[in-house]
Amino acid sequence: MEVMMKSRKLLWLVTFAAFSIVVALYVFRNGEAELSQKPLARVSAIDSTKCIAPKEFMRANHMQVLQGWERSVVREGDRVHIASNGSRFQKSLGTCLGCHNNRLFCYNCHSYANVKPKCWNCHLSPMETP
Amino acid sequence: MKKVFMPLVMVAILALIPFVGVQYAGLSYLFGVIIPYTAIVVLLAGFLLRLADWLRRPVPFRIPTTCGQEKSLEWIKYDRFESPHRFWEVAARVLFEVLFFRSLFRNTKAEIHKDANLAYGSHKWLWFGGLAFHWSLLIIVLRHSRFFFPMVPGFTDLLSHVDGFFDVTLPTFYITDAVVLVAITFLVFRRLNDAKMRLISLQTDYFPLFLIAAIVVVGVFMRYLTRLDIMPVKDQMLRLVNFSVDAPGDIGALFYVHLFLVSVLAIYFPFSKLMHAGAIFLSPTRNQCNNSREKRHINPWNTAIKFRTYAEYEDDYREKMKKAKLPIEKQ
Repeated sequence: MEVMMKSRKLLWLVTFAAFSIVVALYVFRNGEAELSQKPLARVSAIDSTKCIAPKEFMRANHMQVLQGWERSVVREGDRVHIASNGSRFQKSLGTCLGCHNNRLFCYNCHSYANVKPKCWNCHLSPMETP
Repeated sequence: MKKVFMPLVMVAILALIPFVGVQYAGLSYLFGVIIPYTAIVVLLAGFLLRLADWLRRPVPFRIPTTCGQEKSLEWIKYDRFESPHRFWEVAARVLFEVLFFRSLFRNTKAEIHKDANLAYGSHKWLWFGGLAFHWSLLIIVLRHSRFFFPMVPGFTDLLSHVDGFFDVTLPTFYITDAVVLVAITFLVFRRLNDAKMRLISLQTDYFPLFLIAAIVVVGVFMRYLTRLDIMPVKDQMLRLVNFSVDAPGDIGALFYVHLFLVSVLAIYFPFSKLMHAGAIFLSPTRNQCNNSREKRHINPWNTAIKFRTYAEYEDDYREKMKKAKLPIEKQ
């Protein structure tokens, strides 16, 4: 009998916790929706004539850069990347792929290392462009 | 408490050695080539020697631990897996033990209740935690095969896909990474929680747990937080697989910590309790048929004894026995 009372109490506690989490998520979501209504800062045109950082740095750290871009664009609406020498770039995959336009540019290394981020779930893969 | 902190400190020192060695002394050749090769040689040789040593030991009698009816008369039903009497039944029993820890499933716990009654109850937590830990570890090791094949085998791809089922975070979060950490935490606290367990736990129980935990934590760190550049890592692993002794490329020091701790684990393996991986197959209480009613097992150690039968005795003394009027079997 005592055990049953205990488990019923626990059940209520878990239900309450789950309910409060759902409510918290809902409130948090509303806040995000307001944020996205801010006008986005943009660089006038995509400039792909030079790279945002040296080749060696990009080879080892492109995933960090792209992940940072994704977060700051989606969460904060900041679309301008300022390179260390002061030049400005648009935070977009198009900025990279405009110059690195070989269709297999990503694929070669990523298939070798078997690293499969989900970029192309949303973005158009260079291997699918006409 | 020394029993717990000593292994913890040892693992911390072991993790620091390659970090300092690579970051400040530039010993990437030592930690990237020499030590991994040494480790794999020690692991393979040590493992095989231990197995050979155990295989050489004679086991003259049938000593299987059983908990079921033995095979005897046709009309008595017997238990195939609890008291196996054919090879395939033994094989199935060992396999079920290895894959699903059947004997741990029967684990019970005795405790004294408030009213001073001694009570026994089923206690499946060790079974569950152990199963979660070992299976996660197996899946993680199999997943790592993507570093050792130039073209990744389809099986590894499938496994990574299933493991990354939730499809969250970048790179994809693997379920087993979390499961193994939770399981190992449970296994450590299981030892620390109970006075009896604390008493019987030794440094050699804590050390492998901490070592594996450190390997997992460093691996998780590399994958999800530091996002290590993986190209030189794959190059280096392919070189090792192809028995090349070329120097490794420019890899982050964290990778060397991971590799060094794995090497330590490999070297430690054949000298420690971790050999249960091989021993479970050779355990005579588990890998023998319970057929001593069906077949006579003679101890090979027995020295040959010259027996003298009664018939021979009678042959020698027949005449004398006849004279003494003693009864004789053969006239």
